[in-house]
Amino acid sequence: MITLEDVTKTYDLGKGNTVTAVRGVTLEIAAGEFAVLIGRSGSGKTTLLNLAAGLTRPTSGRVTLDGVDLWKLTDQQQSYLRNRKIGFVFQFPSLLPTLTTYENVILPTMFGANGHDSQEPERARAMLERVGLSDKLHSYPRQLSAGQQQRVVIARSLINQPQLLLADEPTSNLDERTESEIMDLFRDLHAGLGLTVVLVTHTRQLVSSGMRTIEMADGRVVSEILASADLGLEAGVTRTIP
Amino acid sequence: MNLLQLAWKNISGNGLRSWVVALCALVVAAFALFATLLLRGAATSLELATDRLGADIVVVPEGAQTEMEGALLMGVPAQFWMPEENVKKLAAIPGVEAVSPQVYLATLVGASCCSVSQMFMIGYDPQTDFTVRPWLDKQLPGGLARGEVIGGDYISATEAGYGILVYGDLVTLKGNLEPTGTGLDQSLFFTLETAHDIAHISETQAEEPLVIPPNQVSAILVKTKPGADNEKIAVDIFRNLPGVFPIESANLFQSSRAQLTSLLNMVVIVMALIWPLAIVLIGMIYLMAANERRRELGVLRALGATRRFVAESLLTEASLLALCGASVGIFLAVLAIYLFRRLIVSSLGVPFLLPSPASLALEIGIGLLLAMLSVVLAALLPAIKISRQDPAIAMRE
Repeated sequence: MITLEDVTKTYDLGKGNTVTAVRGVTLEIAAGEFAVLIGRSGSGKTTLLNLAAGLTRPTSGRVTLDGVDLWKLTDQQQSYLRNRKIGFVFQFPSLLPTLTTYENVILPTMFGANGHDSQEPERARAMLERVGLSDKLHSYPRQLSAGQQQRVVIARSLINQPQLLLADEPTSNLDERTESEIMDLFRDLHAGLGLTVVLVTHTRQLVSSGMRTIEMADGRVVSEILASADLGLEAGVTRTIP
Repeated sequence: MNLLQLAWKNISGNGLRSWVVALCALVVAAFALFATLLLRGAATSLELATDRLGADIVVVPEGAQTEMEGALLMGVPAQFWMPEENVKKLAAIPGVEAVSPQVYLATLVGASCCSVSQMFMIGYDPQTDFTVRPWLDKQLPGGLARGEVIGGDYISATEAGYGILVYGDLVTLKGNLEPTGTGLDQSLFFTLETAHDIAHISETQAEEPLVIPPNQVSAILVKTKPGADNEKIAVDIFRNLPGVFPIESANLFQSSRAQLTSLLNMVVIVMALIWPLAIVLIGMIYLMAANERRRELGVLRALGATRRFVAESLLTEASLLALCGASVGIFLAVLAIYLFRRLIVSSLGVPFLLPSPASLALEIGIGLLLAMLSVVLAALLPAIKISRQDPAIAMRE
């Protein structure tokens, strides 16, 4: 589904200073996979996720989604692809504070090329029901707890029925119990909707959630752990990347 | 939800910023419209007064120029005299096609024999007149008979519904002239015959008699031949007729025109200061807002918004704020002009005519456009800058 081929990302900090966040990463995420991306802070996980979504241009290398090179597309095509195929869950509070829960959930439908879809309100309600917030339709983000806000974000990420869900440390600001609930939700979505999920975390306890764990350090993928045999590989195999 | 609704939600959610931007638009629109209405109103009024006078050259007694302009522009009654024989002398000057005398009179202040206190009155000679008759003919094809008068736009009949008491003589108001915004709107026009009748009746009926010195006139209006050099004719008049002063119509109301020019200069200077200032202020506000909302706009990009959508959403917000601010500003400017026009006229010393509805609508449209253009222009750079930013970088702290 997503392929990164020898991708490097270097940020220009100005005055001749640069920092390389991702160094020559080659990675393939297959359709239907639940991959967990782990690593310490600053290891390049978030940058890798952003590269996979086409949110930042690689300094070198190639990123493809379903065989399409993201950086050969126009801004409009790339935005459309993101809108229709990818759902995002961010680490930080990403709901628009001026919109209600319902409006936040339907926000991505504004950007579709087909204009207004009569199914949207129904789908938004269904998504909110799925994340257990059907009674918070008209609440504003400030009226919701951090856990509830993150659930709304998950509902929003699903509104356009994407094939890929990218989650960047979605539970980092949550207490243990809410974290567990959110992770259960991800597992349900993966299993129930057949979504491809790539989840970034620095919490090793969440590794068990995924089918594959990719560990990053210093901008490189340093190891991959296969938790099941779904990918045709033996379960529990750890492969260290040279 | 559409772009407009999203923009409106953002506006209502960012109160202080929205108020400041709307206030800038309000100030720009209000000042621009107020100044435009004032200047155009005054300029139109001067043009109309000159047109209504209908003469190429107006000859008055030397030293009476200011008094005459004050009477015509501000309705301040004036009386000055010069020998009637000047009419014939003027007619003999080469290049002069027609001449017509007028007498300028005033009603009494606080006298029961006059319905209107201190009204400027103009007596014309229907035999030679070429200035009053053309616009009288449109309303009264037969002209004014003895005892009949026509008033400026502000004049209304006070006695028995159709008459006005002037020096104890009840004259009949036959109609009103189109407004000019000048003193002519508060003036009364009648023939010289009527003027002499009023003077005669005033001897017995008025608290003070109306005195029209025999063989004297106040002003002589001169019509020049087509293609004639008015300036040369005015110089000839000045040289050949001692004690009179010829004013070319182009030079009429010079002090008001000068006042208008200085007002215009002032407006241009103020506008040159506040317009760029407003644009810079709004630009800075939007730059700050765009930085403050970097993450939010980055999220929009991640959710599938194009660069264009992000820029458009900021510009739509700016346009809506400009529209709201400018609408209030325009309302206040129009209200101020309507409520305080007399105060403005008297304090600035220039005449003023309210614009026609069509002209007002056009000026309002231009005011709105100017305010919206200012705000959109100010928001354009921040909008483009933020829309071009890498979404991943925008979402970083």
